[in-house]
Amino acid sequence: MTVHVLGVRHHGPGSARSVVLALEEVRPATLVVEGPPELDAVVPLLADAATVPPVAGLVYDVAAPRRSLFYPLADFSPEWVAIRWALSRGVPVRFADLAGRHLLAPEPATGDTDDEAAGRLPFGEAEEPGTTAPDQSADGPEAPGSEESPDGSGAPEVADADVRQDVVAVLARTAGYADPERWWEDAVEQRHADVLARFAHLRDAIAAVRAADPALSDAHNDRREASMRTVLRDVLDAGDVAVVCGAFHAPALDPRGFPSAAADARLLRGLPRTKVAATWVPWTSARLAASSGYGAGVEAPGWYRHLFETWSTGDALPDPRARDHDVASSWLVRVARALREEGLPAPPASVVDAVRLAESLAAVRGRPAVGLDELTDATRGVLTEGADLPLAVVHRRLVVGEEIGEVPAATPMVPLAADLAARQRSLRLKPTATSSTTTLDLRTDNGRARSVLLHRLRALGVPWGTPADDTRTLGTFKEVWELEWQPELAVAVVDASRYGATVLDATEARVAERAREAEGLAELGRLVETCLVADLPVALGAVVDTLAEATAHQHDLRVLLETVEPLARTVRYGDVRRTDSGRVGALLTTVLARARVGLRAGCQALDDDLATRTRIALESAHRGVALLADPQRSEPWFRALAGLVADGSVHGTVDGRAVRLLHDAGRVDTGDVAARMSRRLSLAGDPADGAAWLESFLGGEAVLLHDHALLEVVDGWVSGIGDDVFADLLPVLRRTFSGFGVAERRRIGAQLAGASRTGETVREVDDDRALPAVLAVARMLGLEVAS
Amino acid sequence: MTDTAGPTDTPTDPGAGTDAAGVLRPPAEQAFADELAALERLDDRPRPPKWRLSPWAVTTYLLGGTLSDGTVVTPKYVGARRLVEVAVASLATDRALLLLGVPGTAKTWVGEHLAAAVSGSSRLVVQGTAGTAEESIRYGWNYARLLADGPSRDALVPSPVMRAMQAGRLVRVEELTRIPADVQDALITILSEKTLPVPELDTEVQAVQGFNVIATANNRDKGVNDLSSALKRRFTTVVLPLPATLSEEADIVRRRVASLGAALRLPADLEHLAEVERVVTVFRELRSGVTADQRTSLKSPSATLSTAEAISVMTNGLALAAHFGDGRVGADDVAAGLVSAVVKDPVQDRIVWQEYLETVVKDRREWSDLYRACRDLDPA
Ligand SMILES: Nc1ncnc2c1ncn2[C@@H]1O[C@H](COP(=O)(O)OP(=O)(O)O)[C@@H](O)[C@H]1O
Ligand SMILES: [Mg+2]
Repeated sequence: MTVHVLGVRHHGPGSARSVVLALEEVRPATLVVEGPPELDAVVPLLADAATVPPVAGLVYDVAAPRRSLFYPLADFSPEWVAIRWALSRGVPVRFADLAGRHLLAPEPATGDTDDEAAGRLPFGEAEEPGTTAPDQSADGPEAPGSEESPDGSGAPEVADADVRQDVVAVLARTAGYADPERWWEDAVEQRHADVLARFAHLRDAIAAVRAADPALSDAHNDRREASMRTVLRDVLDAGDVAVVCGAFHAPALDPRGFPSAAADARLLRGLPRTKVAATWVPWTSARLAASSGYGAGVEAPGWYRHLFETWSTGDALPDPRARDHDVASSWLVRVARALREEGLPAPPASVVDAVRLAESLAAVRGRPAVGLDELTDATRGVLTEGADLPLAVVHRRLVVGEEIGEVPAATPMVPLAADLAARQRSLRLKPTATSSTTTLDLRTDNGRARSVLLHRLRALGVPWGTPADDTRTLGTFKEVWELEWQPELAVAVVDASRYGATVLDATEARVAERAREAEGLAELGRLVETCLVADLPVALGAVVDTLAEATAHQHDLRVLLETVEPLARTVRYGDVRRTDSGRVGALLTTVLARARVGLRAGCQALDDDLATRTRIALESAHRGVALLADPQRSEPWFRALAGLVADGSVHGTVDGRAVRLLHDAGRVDTGDVAARMSRRLSLAGDPADGAAWLESFLGGEAVLLHDHALLEVVDGWVSGIGDDVFADLLPVLRRTFSGFGVAERRRIGAQLAGASRTGETVREVDDDRALPAVLAVARMLGLEVAS
Repeated sequence: MTDTAGPTDTPTDPGAGTDAAGVLRPPAEQAFADELAALERLDDRPRPPKWRLSPWAVTTYLLGGTLSDGTVVTPKYVGARRLVEVAVASLATDRALLLLGVPGTAKTWVGEHLAAAVSGSSRLVVQGTAGTAEESIRYGWNYARLLADGPSRDALVPSPVMRAMQAGRLVRVEELTRIPADVQDALITILSEKTLPVPELDTEVQAVQGFNVIATANNRDKGVNDLSSALKRRFTTVVLPLPATLSEEADIVRRRVASLGAALRLPADLEHLAEVERVVTVFRELRSGVTADQRTSLKSPSATLSTAEAISVMTNGLALAAHFGDGRVGADDVAAGLVSAVVKDPVQDRIVWQEYLETVVKDRREWSDLYRACRDLDPA
């Protein structure tokens, strides 16, 4: 019985091609694939015609689904092609690696904590938010020495993990190759005609690397390889075995070098364990590309797919140069088509030129063949006329790709997805692929329940519904939603499943996490609203706690002001939703008090931008106060505003608005306003400030200009400023006045015309000059006119 | 006959010609003859027909490096390697090259060096202006000859483009977008057919291998004489960006000022070019409309404030310091150049400058000498 170890590069299209050739030659009785054995139970699903890659194996802790591992498979992954090869021939498939039930078990209090779950994954992603150290994603070597790794610094640890994860890339880099796939092609494929010899040589090379640096393996890796060997021993009797594993492990899986079974068993004895479940979930190319998690990211899945496809069809081309040419030209043809869909000409003649440029560029760079870098540069130089913008389209659609995987209906669901499906059934809210509009009546139980579900999903990062009118959700009994179920949402649900097994639990956990990470008060204020509409009592407590603490430390006036409105809405409409908002009320009182106290000081020496922000914040806070309709809160607020406008040195933008707010509330009368306005607009002052004041004061409604006294002040000021200053101010003035309706503007014009006439009493009428006008009016009125 | 049509073009090498001795700036192939010779000697890679160097060596010439015999090749272009590689690769595939960018991003400079390295001469050039006529791209006639002997080869006056076609060299077309559209069209046939018909003589000039065109255009000129899509398609477009960071831009200025200073024999203390950082900072802040710390927004003046102009300010400062000062460039030496670079429009730009001076320069304590020097110039 022979074991053929096929050490591969995870997600390497070159490896995938070699693997198929090797399997054809070996025709093993059993296929063993690196991965947690829990996936054995669901592997038959991959043979289903309804399974469309990319998909990911998902293993999660049943008690705490947030502790989970993903094993993504793309159609160009060697694991995928091997499994499909085996399933279609009835060859049994076994996964071999340290079991998920050990990997996901909570760490015992002691033991080696230096290798986090993420760092130990074969090619999966670990998602264990909240339970692990911050450096778990292993792509963050920026904090050397900050962790507890016994050898002092985190950096070499990461480097070792890199080697374990993608030893092929490391070998390629050492050989001067930027693209590991290229290296595979040259160093593995081209070098040996016999496909099995390729894998044997690679294994020997890696054995040498590992022998030279035993520290590359660690206790955790030893346990993983012991697990793999255990599976191998188990299947060896059934005939020849092919093992598809990360190239790093290849030397450890050669039976000639096996340690005793007892030694391996010792390594695996007494590991912590937990109950886990396994399934497949749809994956996307974008998620494959995401470098989240450990090492599973491929920078350019779409490019790899292209390589794989071209290579599989191009095997007929014996000359590797011809095949390279084929890869480049078919890629650029696809690029040109995508660009044409975006409205760029990208004519075929240019595609030919781009291919030649890419090849020439590879030669200039001394690269053995055209790679993605060259193709991208050639695209920019020839097809997009130097522009980068269209390249973003190419990147999204081709380099990454927009594929969404599918799993068959029989696939076990993650608990969160099952809970969601149950809720969708009970609320009779079916997902549809096309967009539809739903109106919910919040007075009915069903309406409220649907609303809560949609709000929860939104907060959870599963935006199935979008409120049609975001601003009014709290104030009315009606809510309008746009519903559209996109396939990505299935992934979003799985992604969210790390927060909990039910929609409620997951949303509570997610919102509480967002509260911890929130950047500022304003965001926390919005989260309070979220808790309310999504009915999240637990998270509300957490958010309010965070908010209370953040408020105590917050000194920026604008931030305090911006917090008022969401809190006020919560307090005001809390009862519509039957939520207890008592603590929010207390908090609001604190925020308001601090904003009031800091109001004047916070409005000193503002530049234009900050003044505008302050004005907007002030308006929002004012809306909040008005909403409360509570004199206990509004009286001090108005006193604070009055104090602000008494201070003559505040930026025009802020002062103008404050005066307006006071005026609208009847706190200052028109005479007072006119006096203030004329002070602001006095010619000695800075005209730009005057214009800002005016713009801010008038803001949106011209109503005030109907007042004669005010209009006169404005008129006098405008006619008094010098011509060049006027030219400077024209844009602001135009902006101010163009905010009014046409009719409004006409009225003002008429009023001004009238105003200038009332000043001088008309004594003499020139009958001759007036006559035509009088006649015209008379005709319009239908009077008989004697001519 | 000269090689050029229209005014002779040199890259805007600020300071050139201001030297008392009146040294004119030599073309790249002369100024860097040693480097080119060393590259040629050591270059064992394949060269496209008529190329003086291999594409690899051309790239090295532009980006700098140390050769196997120890010869140091100075970097000509400071910026992304990728851009130069694409430019060279394009020329090597017989595709014309269009260098695009705002003024002062080294388009002319790169074009000249590419021509020098590839063809050994950078002097075949058409300077594009609104008045550029078809003759500067195709050919003209010597009218005395024409009248005396009728149309003949001898009466024909070839343009730089035609000469490049015959000799298998690179020809540069500067400011392509300034050239009237119908004149631009003359290039399309040349680039696509690689021939130039001469109907008057019932013949045509065939381009020999090695012929190619490097054009430059200002992408702020958009809409002036936008290139037709037929013409654009013939070019590989390489956009030369403004330097990405302060240190990169300061590095460019320092290198250029040092070499210009040497060429002008300015006995200046090149170690003390600390002023470069400040000049470049002023330029970058005004150009981008925001201070380096991103805290204060500024108005931008009408001037482009390119790297090239920063080089000019510094070179002038160097000349002042050398001739009237102690050789160390200080605030006094750059102030005048700085103000005149920024204030192009006497009204608007002056306001912008004053605001900048009073709100930004004044507040930087370690800039007080610069503030004083600028104020002294313009005590408004
Ligand atoms: N990235 C750069 N590297 C080297 N020199 C530069 C760079 N950017 C600008 N320069 C310098 O600026 C000057 C002006 O360049 P020029 O080619 O005339 O600009 P353009 O033709 O783009 O308007 C040249 O002296 C050049 O050395
Ligand atoms: Mg130029």
